[in-house]
Amino acid sequence: MNRIQVIGAVGIIAGAVMLQGCVAPEPRQELFAPTDAQMKIRSAQSRTFEVADSAVAMRGVIAALQDLGFIIERANAPLGLVTAARFAEPNYYDVLGVTVTVRPQESGKTMIRANAIYNSKPIEDPKVYQNFFAAVERSLFLVKE
Amino acid sequence: MRITPPNSERSGHKVGRGRGALILTLTCGMLLGGCAERTQPAQFFALSPESSANRAMQTRLFETGNDHELLSASAASLQDLGFQIEESVREVGLLRAAKERSAREYGQYRNRFLIWLVSLGHLVIPIDLHQKIAATIVIRPTNQGDTRREVRIMFYRVIWKGDGQADRNYIPPGEQKMEMVRDPEIYQQFFAKLSKAVFLEPHSI
Repeated sequence: MNRIQVIGAVGIIAGAVMLQGCVAPEPRQELFAPTDAQMKIRSAQSRTFEVADSAVAMRGVIAALQDLGFIIERANAPLGLVTAARFAEPNYYDVLGVTVTVRPQESGKTMIRANAIYNSKPIEDPKVYQNFFAAVERSLFLVKE
Repeated sequence: MRITPPNSERSGHKVGRGRGALILTLTCGMLLGGCAERTQPAQFFALSPESSANRAMQTRLFETGNDHELLSASAASLQDLGFQIEESVREVGLLRAAKERSAREYGQYRNRFLIWLVSLGHLVIPIDLHQKIAATIVIRPTNQGDTRREVRIMFYRVIWKGDGQADRNYIPPGEQKMEMVRDPEIYQQFFAKLSKAVFLEPHSI
């Protein structure tokens, strides 16, 4: 009896150990799933402007980038896409890149989103985007004049 | 520049030290050159005090409602200056063009030789070999009446350096240097050509 009990206990333990491998793995954090930090950056990178015509907004963005000393590399009017870059003067070995998308919203507004990179590393400082949108605002105001 | 004292009775050992000091000074100078203060990214997105002066230099206004003509005349003017058009987007009035040229200059060879001489053959500075000069033009309407166009052009250069030698270390070729062109004469030249091409008088802002 005692012997059977021992065998039973060993069997249960062995079974438990073997079953251990069958536990569903802990769900790993998805690489492409949005995180809180990403949402925060995204809201810093986007701003809505009271401009009905997205072509006007796009020209405003281009003018703002030029005022900031950026070189416009690519533009696509139907998609509202602008890519620009500039050298990190006075340091001529570093490059700053920015991609801006201009999308018309309903109710006569336009959403502008900017992604900036510094030597192919994304810039996550909200101050950078605040400064950029201040320049866009200024330039849109000048265009309207 | 004189490091060793000018009296004639010196041992070879002392000369060697003088040379060492010279090389050290030159190396330190080069290293310090790389220590130029880094600008923070936030500053690049804020308008700098010189941005309005640059804007004035790079911009001219033309009294015309014809985007198309101004754009094609700009392309023609760039072609006259030896540029190849790389990209054009009519809807936003964008042109991008570039030309590649040799960047060799006589003065650089002279400086390289002088530095080689002063460093007693220990330092061969790289010289500029090749350059790409690029231009981006944006044309946009500036008033509601659609009768005035603003043309803004920006020139910049990318320079590739040759090889060199710092004491026993070989400096490989291909180092890149980039700079905006800030010479007003180059911009004036372009706008003079453009205004001739469109038969219009350019106005400064």
